[in-house]
Amino acid sequence: MGDPVGVELRGPSRDPAGAAYLRRRGRDFVVALYSALRAIKLYPVEHTAVQKTLDEVSQIGKEILERERELDLRISGEFLFLNATRLRLDLTNYASFGYWLRLCKSSGIGSVKVHAGASPRDWLVFLSMLDEQTLEEPANRRDELSDRLARTSISDIELSPPVDDDDSEFSEEAKKAATRTYNQSVAVTKEVINSVRMGRTPSIKKIKRVVQGIVDQILNEETSLIGLTAIRDYDEYTFTHSVNVCIFAVALGRRLGLTKIQLFDLGLSALMHDIGKSRVPLGFLHKSEQLSEAEWLRIAAHPWLGVLTLFQLRSQQEEVSYRAMTVAYEHHMRTDLSGYPKPIRARSISMTSRIVAVVDGYDAATTRRVYQTTPYAPSAVLQEMRDNPKRGLDQIVVKAFINLLGIYPVGTLVVLDTFELAIVCAANPRTDVLSRPIVKIVSDAQGNMLHPAPEADLAQADSFGDYPRTIIKTADPGRYGINVGDYFV
Amino acid sequence: MTAQSVLDTEELAEPPFPAALVNDLMRSFAKAVRAHQLYLPNNPIHSRAMEAVRTAFAPVWGETDSITIQVTEADLRWAGRVVLEEEGRTSDSIPWLFFKDGIRELGFRRGFEDDELIILLMLMQRARLASSDDDDLLTLLWEHDFASLQYKYVDLAIESGAPLDSIRGEEMEKIVAPGDVETEAQLVASTSITKMDEYDSTLYFLDEKEIDYLREEVRRDFGTDLRTQVVASLLDTYEQESDPTVREEIASILDGFFLLMLSLMQFRAAAYLIREASVTAGRARDLLVGQRQRLTQLSARLSDKDALEQLLHALEETPLRPPQTDLHELFGQLNPQALETVLSWIGRTRNSELRALLEAAGSKLAAAHTAELVRLISSDDDVVAFEAIRRAGAMRSSAAVFALSGTISSVRAELRLAGVAALSDIGSPGALQVLERALQDEDIDIRIAAVKVLGSRNHRAGVKGVEAHMRTRLLRDSTLAEKMAFFESYGLLSGDEGVPFLADILNSRGILGRREDGEYRACAAMALGKIGSDTAMRALQKALADSDVVVRNAVSRAVRG
Repeated sequence: MGDPVGVELRGPSRDPAGAAYLRRRGRDFVVALYSALRAIKLYPVEHTAVQKTLDEVSQIGKEILERERELDLRISGEFLFLNATRLRLDLTNYASFGYWLRLCKSSGIGSVKVHAGASPRDWLVFLSMLDEQTLEEPANRRDELSDRLARTSISDIELSPPVDDDDSEFSEEAKKAATRTYNQSVAVTKEVINSVRMGRTPSIKKIKRVVQGIVDQILNEETSLIGLTAIRDYDEYTFTHSVNVCIFAVALGRRLGLTKIQLFDLGLSALMHDIGKSRVPLGFLHKSEQLSEAEWLRIAAHPWLGVLTLFQLRSQQEEVSYRAMTVAYEHHMRTDLSGYPKPIRARSISMTSRIVAVVDGYDAATTRRVYQTTPYAPSAVLQEMRDNPKRGLDQIVVKAFINLLGIYPVGTLVVLDTFELAIVCAANPRTDVLSRPIVKIVSDAQGNMLHPAPEADLAQADSFGDYPRTIIKTADPGRYGINVGDYFV
Repeated sequence: MTAQSVLDTEELAEPPFPAALVNDLMRSFAKAVRAHQLYLPNNPIHSRAMEAVRTAFAPVWGETDSITIQVTEADLRWAGRVVLEEEGRTSDSIPWLFFKDGIRELGFRRGFEDDELIILLMLMQRARLASSDDDDLLTLLWEHDFASLQYKYVDLAIESGAPLDSIRGEEMEKIVAPGDVETEAQLVASTSITKMDEYDSTLYFLDEKEIDYLREEVRRDFGTDLRTQVVASLLDTYEQESDPTVREEIASILDGFFLLMLSLMQFRAAAYLIREASVTAGRARDLLVGQRQRLTQLSARLSDKDALEQLLHALEETPLRPPQTDLHELFGQLNPQALETVLSWIGRTRNSELRALLEAAGSKLAAAHTAELVRLISSDDDVVAFEAIRRAGAMRSSAAVFALSGTISSVRAELRLAGVAALSDIGSPGALQVLERALQDEDIDIRIAAVKVLGSRNHRAGVKGVEAHMRTRLLRDSTLAEKMAFFESYGLLSGDEGVPFLADILNSRGILGRREDGEYRACAAMALGKIGSDTAMRALQKALADSDVVVRNAVSRAVRG
């Protein structure tokens, strides 16, 4: 093999064989821990609900130990690992994961190592102590917990501090991989759309590869790729918009529990949702003045033109992606069918189209375009999507989307109560603090730009339990001369 | 191994364990690949090859938990050493098969040989046979989430995209004015513009019901056949867009799509297309004659003999039958002319499963197009005629009686017999009247079938015909079965009026004092027993002591009832 640059790695990169088992049972284990913590909080210890949940924790733990000979539930950055396997968030476990992360972080725990002898009683003692309210510094808190475990003769649950492993390196690698994926995706999308515009048939294989790359990236480490959606390239809007919609849709689909193949299908549909625009004259698409009715009708034809175009794209032997066609046709239709095109035959908007409608609306409204020189603030867009039923969006999908992005989505410029300016770079993985994202501080209280911009977790409380920094409002980056994209490339 | 590779190997550092182990493994792997290409999994050679490669993995796992193999155009390498060499840029070469799709490295982990070996072989075989339009090996590997196989690749399809700059609009060199943020923040604080209540996280939690809703919608979405939705989109557009160019494009798409659905046996969607295209033809405004014809001709196109035979051939050959309801939906859209082809196939197919499907579909089609069914009863194609006759009987179609009367005179005995059965099933007075003609048929089975029907249906008008045949020499010389059938039916149909005729046969002597044949007389006794009246009994009593044991026994049974 020659130059390794540009060589992609696929397959179970950080996971050993049996990763699927660990992912599945690891998820069960964390959910069981969460249930036990809740039961302990709600009921007296002798209550059957408490005993049942503790038994379950103990039993799953034993099963994992029997099979793997090791049970180490470890926190690394914002991720949870069971032994060497990263556990993945989905719709059924995000609350449990967030709760466990928060508890461990506030208690200074990096890893909980469980040995074969851990009994339901040991778990009861440990979890009860873990969930106690305290103002102790995390490191002291962990030492205190370890001491108390030792005093109660519990040696089968072992606590360790967080370890600074190769996460920063991993994170840098992930960012590079995400940037490569993003750039390739935009390049291919541009090629595809331009090919169609010029009457050529683009390569389906390339499109598929792009979506596969995005799905892989989202499954491995979604934050970096979602961060790149904030670039909002003005000149390349048509292409970056398609890629952004694909990224958001796949990330949201992942939260909704879609399988890898379903994510691919969703991603492909999202990437191609505006393909019909390649048959609309560029002059209409880029017109900054008011459109005439005829011009508007041509633009409003892009959903059905998308269907026709996708039929042209299919190869001779291969079935076309009917999902992509359905999404192209339905993504402006609205759930109450009040949008366009107006269907004649009975139709219920597919879930894939509802997802794409939400993420498409979000990305379009938050991006600067010819006829939208001032984009809306991401948080305002989410609020509008949530509160205005006339938008015809699926409200539960909107809710799930806000869960994914946080109340202040990635790329939002925020003003903090310290008078610092910050750009949101990731939603907080703790779903109970959606209004406290991870940010990059771009200017200090005196207005001095900071290079490089330091990161801060707004959910990190001080020793008194107070938050040193709180968002007080969002702001227009243009007003402060800030290029949001600079902080993500 | 080539001389060059030997040379290369000599210059390489010592491998972590003997290369021979990996050489053996790759040799076994190559054999397994060939075995998978040539033999079915139940073939012993296939099983042995799989076992051999699994065995070859064992010593490697004794040394390490994973091995990494580099892929070049013509060989596979481990630790820089060639472990499998296959020249030639064809899909038969294992290195080339991987290399051509961009794969440059394969990593096998302990446990790969358990389940994933066979999947890899399957995918390699698919990739080997794939056309340029099919998914390549890279996509096939991607779709299967391998736990113990890792691969590195160079993406030949995608060049690295040029890095994106951030916003390239007007250059903004403003520096944040120190007071600006503070002023703005104070303004915000004083006027409470930011409603923190809006950002209450709990507003965004999904409750159980919402999670269930999302799950159910996703399940439904991915379980739905979207073809009908796509057809609906195309036809809705067709109706709303009167631009002839657009309509022409959609019509062409629909033509191709229709054939695709048929070839993939997506019969429900194909039926939907035919049905809805016809709706569009009747509803769309500003439709030109040619456009309307094109929309409505889908059914005629499929009903055409050659087109339909293609479909039936495909159905006969496929191991996976489509659901019967789907086939019914499609057949429900066919034109009458399709019936002939369907009936022809019912009679000719050797595939019992297909026949059962076609029987049901054919019945529906026949029921919808009775006139065509009646026409086909007289088809020159005996197979078609036979099936049409059967179906007319099964449908008890009175409209078919006239056509069936023609079959009674057919030169083919099978058709005449089928006609009798059909007329019997129809059972109307008209049908039974036609059946009387069959009493004189030259074929004994047909005569028996006809007379039995007349008797069982109590078709009294037919008694004269029955008696006429009983008076012929033909019946006297026929089999006992025919005699019994005729006498039994005669007994059922004639009532008391038949007693003199029967008594005469049973008891009278001829001019020379000779009686009828014993078998014939016994049949007459049986018929009298069927009549069962006093007169009949009296006639039977006279023969109770008949010297012919066959007659005596028959009389005795008839008297006992």
